[in-house]
Amino acid sequence: MAEAISPYKAAKRFHYAYPEMGTGPVPIEPYISPEYFELERERVFKKVWLYACRVEQLRNAGDFLVIELSVCDTSVVLVRDANGDLRAFHNMCAHRGNKIAYDLSGNIASFTCRFHGWTYSLGGELTFVPDEDNYFDIDKGCLGLTPVHVDEWEGFVFVNVDPEPRETLTEYLGELGSGLHGYPFGELSGKVHRFETVVNANWKLVKDAFQEVCHTPYQHRRSLPDAYQNSDNPHTRLIDMAVVGHHGRASLFGNMAHVPSPVAAHAYAHGSTIVSAALGPEGSPETDPPGVNPTGSPDWSFELQVFFPSFFLAVARGSYFAHQFLPLGVDKTLWQSMICYPEPTTLAERFSQEYSRVMFRDIMCEDGRQLEETQSMLKSGAKQHFQLKDEELLVRQGLYEVDRMITASNTTGGLVSDA
Amino acid sequence: MDWSLVTMAERSARRSSSTMQEIEAFYAAMLPRMEAVLGYLADVSADDEAPENLRLLDLTKSLAEVAPAVELFFEPTISYGYDVSRFATDPE
Repeated sequence: MAEAISPYKAAKRFHYAYPEMGTGPVPIEPYISPEYFELERERVFKKVWLYACRVEQLRNAGDFLVIELSVCDTSVVLVRDANGDLRAFHNMCAHRGNKIAYDLSGNIASFTCRFHGWTYSLGGELTFVPDEDNYFDIDKGCLGLTPVHVDEWEGFVFVNVDPEPRETLTEYLGELGSGLHGYPFGELSGKVHRFETVVNANWKLVKDAFQEVCHTPYQHRRSLPDAYQNSDNPHTRLIDMAVVGHHGRASLFGNMAHVPSPVAAHAYAHGSTIVSAALGPEGSPETDPPGVNPTGSPDWSFELQVFFPSFFLAVARGSYFAHQFLPLGVDKTLWQSMICYPEPTTLAERFSQEYSRVMFRDIMCEDGRQLEETQSMLKSGAKQHFQLKDEELLVRQGLYEVDRMITASNTTGGLVSDA
Repeated sequence: MDWSLVTMAERSARRSSSTMQEIEAFYAAMLPRMEAVLGYLADVSADDEAPENLRLLDLTKSLAEVAPAVELFFEPTISYGYDVSRFATDPE
């Protein structure tokens, strides 16, 4: 019987399933054009569901969080109201436009504007106007905080500033969202460590660094010398990858023969770390939700989901992490990441989680330098295109989806800029 | 030098400002003790507040902070990477 060819030795496994996206070079222009950025602002970011926070950050009535969404020209207050419902509002007083919440988070009984004392309930109703009879025809019932659509999926809270979203959150997340049902996000959000930085690079460039892993043998030569590659798979090829609705997913290969460093071994002995998933996690294909390791590969280490425009989940057994990349300008991005675990039960487990947190950050330090160095070259004119390999399909798909949303009707196929 | 530092920002700053010799000395002192230390800490509740236990935890966290420098990067900071101090993180 002929020996099965290792799936990682077959080249060009993915692109041909999506002929509408083509295989040619992709233009650099969308990464540097201020005009394109403004189109992204109006036709993408103001029209889609954006990740805001985890439900655990808004547990109790009165808990609030402010999300600055400069790309949507707004600031959004999320709050757990007195009935226990999640609410979201534009952070703007009806009187003369001041923000009604300056603090980024807290617990509050009502919102009082610091300018003239206008007061709003947690449900956004205008309840008190000081010196009310000195205003003309104030109808408090019409002057509440302006709501923002808010909804929740698997404990992730999303907002949509479009007054009439085209799709519900469930519809928007589609099969990629429903395929993760059953993954223990709640349990694995028991302890969350967050990181945030402002990076001088276009949001799509930042996103691209995380939606392919073939940079691992080079960019992560020191941090991840062999956790995600071996002699069968020296290029860190994916087990599987697909476009799912607006979004993309990939199943990542792990080297089950990886030997941890001495301190890593201590960490693995006392908790789950995202890298330890490569050592052969507990659990089995039968218990995984359908969206986790869909091919049932024994080499599976974690599953990447890229929710358009730029919310990433990477789920393993015992831990998950997430990223969001929100534009601040054509060449500036708010990069937010979090690594998540079960609530630790012992101090040894807290050490283990700290090791994972340090590795997560150091790996991102290796990713981050490239972003600003690359962005600094994009306006040189030396090159006008990027060349994408098969494993970089999601880079292509992300550009294609942005272009599709920006273009009212794209009848030429491929990216508009290629026409 | 006291490596019992409470926040990641402090531990990271200590790693960044230390020489490789200082980092390796701390690593060499901690690693052989980790089996026993973690064996002990595995029996201490995660929300224990006894100062001596938290000090021990912070020492293990500092080992977690410097371990990549010793085991993977062979230098205190990732000289070819992003400035780690640009990543804001939660205290602790």
